[in-house]
Amino acid sequence: MVELEIQVLSDRREGLLVELGHVVVANHFSLLRQRLTQDGRGACLSMLVRGPDEQRMALEEMLGTHNRVLSFEAALAGEASVVPPLSMPMMSAEPSVPPELPPPASLPNVVQVEHVLPMLAQDYPQIYPWLVSLEHSVDEAVRESSLMLAGRRTGAWVYKRDYALGAKLGLAEAIRRIGVPALRQLADIEHHGVHLHVLNSPLCAPGARSGCRFYGGYLEGLLGAAVAPRRVFVRQLGCRGAGAALCSMEISH
Amino acid sequence: MSVQLDYNVWLVLLSYAVSVLGAFAAMQAAVAIPLAVTPRQRTAAVAMAGAAMGLGGIWAMHFTAMLACDIGMEVRYDPALAALSALLAFGACCGGLMLVGSGRFGWWRLLAAGTCMGLGAAAMHYLGMAAMMMAADIHYAGKWVVVSVLIAIVASMAALWLAFNLRGRLQMIGSALVMGVAVCGMHYTGMAAVSLHANGGQLPDGYAQGLRSGNLGETLFAIVANLLLLVLGLYCWRQRYRSSLSI
Repeated sequence: MVELEIQVLSDRREGLLVELGHVVVANHFSLLRQRLTQDGRGACLSMLVRGPDEQRMALEEMLGTHNRVLSFEAALAGEASVVPPLSMPMMSAEPSVPPELPPPASLPNVVQVEHVLPMLAQDYPQIYPWLVSLEHSVDEAVRESSLMLAGRRTGAWVYKRDYALGAKLGLAEAIRRIGVPALRQLADIEHHGVHLHVLNSPLCAPGARSGCRFYGGYLEGLLGAAVAPRRVFVRQLGCRGAGAALCSMEISH
Repeated sequence: MSVQLDYNVWLVLLSYAVSVLGAFAAMQAAVAIPLAVTPRQRTAAVAMAGAAMGLGGIWAMHFTAMLACDIGMEVRYDPALAALSALLAFGACCGGLMLVGSGRFGWWRLLAAGTCMGLGAAAMHYLGMAAMMMAADIHYAGKWVVVSVLIAIVASMAALWLAFNLRGRLQMIGSALVMGVAVCGMHYTGMAAVSLHANGGQLPDGYAQGLRSGNLGETLFAIVANLLLLVLGLYCWRQRYRSSLSI
C-alpha cells in the first residue's frame, strides 16, 4: 500500500471532488483527506489517498487525462511534497501557490472567463462579440489559454444541453453526429474524418489574437463528455490568423 | 367454414399512430437511462420507458388493430390473458431497454436488447390472439409466424440503434417511426398467418365475462391519453432542465 499526495488544478470547483473521488475509488484507492480552495487560477484540490502500489500508475494516468484537470501533480506522502500540508485550514484567505505548478502566466484568466460565460450561455450561438471582448480583456500571455477554457466550458455546456441523451459514442461517430452539427451553429466548417476546417471565423481574421483556441477548447469540451472516460485532444494545424489558407484542427483521443 | 378478415383502414392507420406515439414516449424516457446516476433513477427511467413501449407502443397498438379487424362475428377477450399479455410486453421492453441502456453501447448488447423486445412484442401478440373468444378456431401458417418474429426483432434493433446513436430530431422521431414499423409489421404479418374457421356457434367457456370492444376502446383511450401526458411532461421537464444548466 502507498499513500499519495495529489494536487489538481481545475477550471471550476463544482462537482470536482465527486468526479475525481470516483476516479480514486475506481482505482481501489481510498481518500483519506482532501482540501478544496479557489483562487484566480481556478479550483485547487489537494488529496491524500491510500491504495495498492500496482494501481498507482493507472490512477495517475486517469487523473492526468481527466477532462476536469488542467494540471496535476502527485508524490508519495512524506517525500519532498508538491502539495501544501493537508492539515492547513480548509478556507485559506491567501491561496498558496505550489512551486512546481506551471507559471501563472500560462494559465487562463479564470476570473475573466467566468465573467463572460453567462453571456455566452445567454446569447448562444451569437457569441462572437463576447469572445472578442474576452480576447481584449485578458493579457496577451494568457489569451490563448483563456479562450481555450471558455471554449471548453461552452462545449461541455452545449453537450449537456443538446447532445447528452443517448449512448456514449466512438470518436469518429461523436465528431460526425455531435461535433460537426454543433460547430456548424457557430461557423461554416468542412469535415474530413478527424480533421475540421473552419472557413470564416471572425476570431481568425488575419492578425487575430487568439487563433482557433476557442474552437479547440469547444471541441474538447463537447466531445470529451461524449466519448468519456477517454480524453479528447484537439491539435491546431493552421490558422487564417497566422496566414494559413484555412483554420484546420485535428481531433484525437 | 373459413372466416374472412376485413380491415377498417382508418383504424389500421390509427394503430400505427398509437404505436409511434408509444415508441416516441418510450424513446424520450429511454435515452435518459445512460444518464441515470443512482439505481433508483435508472429503475424509474426503465420502468417509464418500458410502460410507454410495452403498454402503449405494443399492447395498445395490438388491440387497436384488433378493433380494426372485422371477422363478421362478435369477439370478446379473456381479461386474464389480455392482462398477462400487457405484463409480458412491459417486462420484455423493460428488459430490452435495461440491456441497451446500461454500459457501453455495442452490437452484442443491441442484438440482445432487440431480440428481447422483438420476442416480447411477438409473445404479446400471440398471447393477445389466444385471448380472443369467439365462435371460430384459429390456425397459423408457421412460415409467416417466423417472418413476423424476425421483423419484430430486426426492426426493434434498428429503432434502438437510432435512438441511442443518433442525435437531434432524427434520433427520437426516426426511432419512433421505425419502432412503429417493428410492431405493426410484426402484427400485420402475424395476422397474415392467421386463418379462422367457424366452429358452428360453439362459444368458449367464460365468453360472457369476456372484454367487449367497448371496454377495450375505453382502456385504449386511457392509455393513449397517458402517453400524451407523458410526452408533454417529459418535454416540459427537459425544457426546464435545459434552462437550469449552468455553463
